[in-house]
Amino acid sequence: MLLLFRDRAGLAMLFVMPMALILIMTLLQDSTFKILEEKQMSVLVLNYDADTFGINIVEGLKQSSVFDVVERLDGKAFDENAMKQQLMLGNYRIGIVIRKNATTALKNKIRLGIQAQFPVEEGPIFDLDSTDASDTANVKLYFDPITQSVFRQNIISALHEFSAAVEAKILFGIYADLFNDMLDIQLKPTQKLKNLVVFEQEYASTAINKIVPNAVQHNVPAWTIFAMFFIVIPLAGNLIKERQSGVAMRLKTMPGSEQAVVFGKGVVYFVVGILQAIFMLLIGFYVLPLFGMYSLKIDSHTLPALALIIIATSMAATGYGIVIGTIATSQEQSSIFGSISVVILAALGGVWVPTFMMSEFMVTVSKLSPLNWGLNGFYDIFLRNANITEVLPYAASLTIFFLLCLLISRFYTKFK
Amino acid sequence: MAEQSFIEITGLTKWYKNTTVAAVDQLNLNIDEGEIFGLLGPNGAGKTTTLSILCNQIPFSGGDISINGFSLKRNAMELKKIIGVVPQEIALYDKLTAFENLRFFGNLYGLKGNFLKSRIADCMVNFGLEGKLNKKIDTFSGGMKRRVNLIAGILHKPRILFLDEPTVGIDVQSKTVIIDYLKELNKEGTTILYTSHHMDEAEHFCTRIAIIDQGKIIAKGAPSEMIKLQKGCESLEDIFLHLTGRKLRD
Repeated sequence: MLLLFRDRAGLAMLFVMPMALILIMTLLQDSTFKILEEKQMSVLVLNYDADTFGINIVEGLKQSSVFDVVERLDGKAFDENAMKQQLMLGNYRIGIVIRKNATTALKNKIRLGIQAQFPVEEGPIFDLDSTDASDTANVKLYFDPITQSVFRQNIISALHEFSAAVEAKILFGIYADLFNDMLDIQLKPTQKLKNLVVFEQEYASTAINKIVPNAVQHNVPAWTIFAMFFIVIPLAGNLIKERQSGVAMRLKTMPGSEQAVVFGKGVVYFVVGILQAIFMLLIGFYVLPLFGMYSLKIDSHTLPALALIIIATSMAATGYGIVIGTIATSQEQSSIFGSISVVILAALGGVWVPTFMMSEFMVTVSKLSPLNWGLNGFYDIFLRNANITEVLPYAASLTIFFLLCLLISRFYTKFK
Repeated sequence: MAEQSFIEITGLTKWYKNTTVAAVDQLNLNIDEGEIFGLLGPNGAGKTTTLSILCNQIPFSGGDISINGFSLKRNAMELKKIIGVVPQEIALYDKLTAFENLRFFGNLYGLKGNFLKSRIADCMVNFGLEGKLNKKIDTFSGGMKRRVNLIAGILHKPRILFLDEPTVGIDVQSKTVIIDYLKELNKEGTTILYTSHHMDEAEHFCTRIAIIDQGKIIAKGAPSEMIKLQKGCESLEDIFLHLTGRKLRD
């Protein structure tokens, strides 16, 4: 313990670095997470169609809570080139151009579709309105190249939804006219031709307080686990230094089990890991709100589960440090391999990029990382208010990893 | 029935992995209680390997060792309590103070409380290190480190002390303090087995020596008698060169 306390750089790495990481990464990612959660997406809109389609699409976008419709820049109207310029500059992510006569073109398409249902010998039943023949697309979308596919899909889905409603409205109008002309039946206009299917949304949580994931709930546990695993560097370095200085050999000649000495050392680092976790979580509870971010919240009944995950993660990190310290032959080797491997395991485990942003393949790969097991345990506690039984699989995986590390160290030492 | 020696080494053999020559080859040696025994030899002769085996640091491939009637293989734990080891390296935590190092090693030998404190203080005075108790090891000179390194091996007053080149790389003053203290310790009953490259030191310090080369003992006896018996040799160094040759060793 004394050795660890004398190693100021090591202590700074274990406590100050993760604290800085939590603050910086949470501040950096806060806006991104808010976009994912609730923040409106600004969309440049040019509506050249002053008819049903254009008006309804713009209204639909405006009424949606997801989009912030921008039709004027600095109080001035803009054209398609100015729109492209704004996207290229990265000021906006998405631009929508609704073509002139888009409504007329849409009506013509619908009428042609209906006409095709009648026998040819009946002759034309509609007079098609004149329109620009080049108007094959009613709407053109411009994207900033760095726009994430999730945002692209978001706007396309919204436009499909709004246009489907307009199509239905136009279709109903045409059929109404047709019924009137052919059968002399007057159909009443209806406003209820959209949202016929009702979707109910609910978070899959049994808790009363339904918590939406945010930057704090991701970053605090993620960097806490990362910091706990960084214990590998001082622990492994210490073991190697002991070997290189001859202290390990001296210890072998002394009464008492060699394993007891390693165990004693492991216990110190295990406790430090727990202290790290408590310290980092306190930052999430009390410091981050001072920077205008959410506060980490936890229900008191989940505290045993939190304690279990912290203990299991600290054990896994200690085990990993022991195995690296046993196998590495120099301090340089252990610090380089230790830090790089922790960074890789962190990246795979969803510390840098949360797993819900990963591809399906990478999500599968992420399950191989012990940092992912710990992170999922924390997620379950902070997002689902999981109890001790629910986080048990993660704790068990981390404990097995710890035991495996000890076994490898033992066999490696014996083999050597 | 012949009386058993304090340390009995019979047919000791040590093979390292992936080597074609034994580091220690069928070595036989008896050391009596109260002796100061020197194990001398050129680089790579097998001295440190033999000492490491006796200290329980590394396993051996063949043969048998008994110390004070206990088999090293079967009674390692009991033997660890009566031996003291002073390795060639400065086997100390350099970020800890001398006191913190000695307290840690003393605790491992089962020493505790005021007894340990006063024992540490006595040893520090005996080795001219009074006032340095609370200084970190990394601030010490080479000679001071070596003296603390020795204290760590004798805190528990061992019955047998194994020393691997305890005076290497230090000034004459430090060497004299160490040798004088070891002689005192020996007078109090501690059996000493040590390795060295300093022939002159071994000649005057040891009651008996063995010259070892290529894992085998090639000569042993009291230094003065060996010098007397070997024609043309006036010192232990002459005998050493005569027996091991002048060819450089790796």
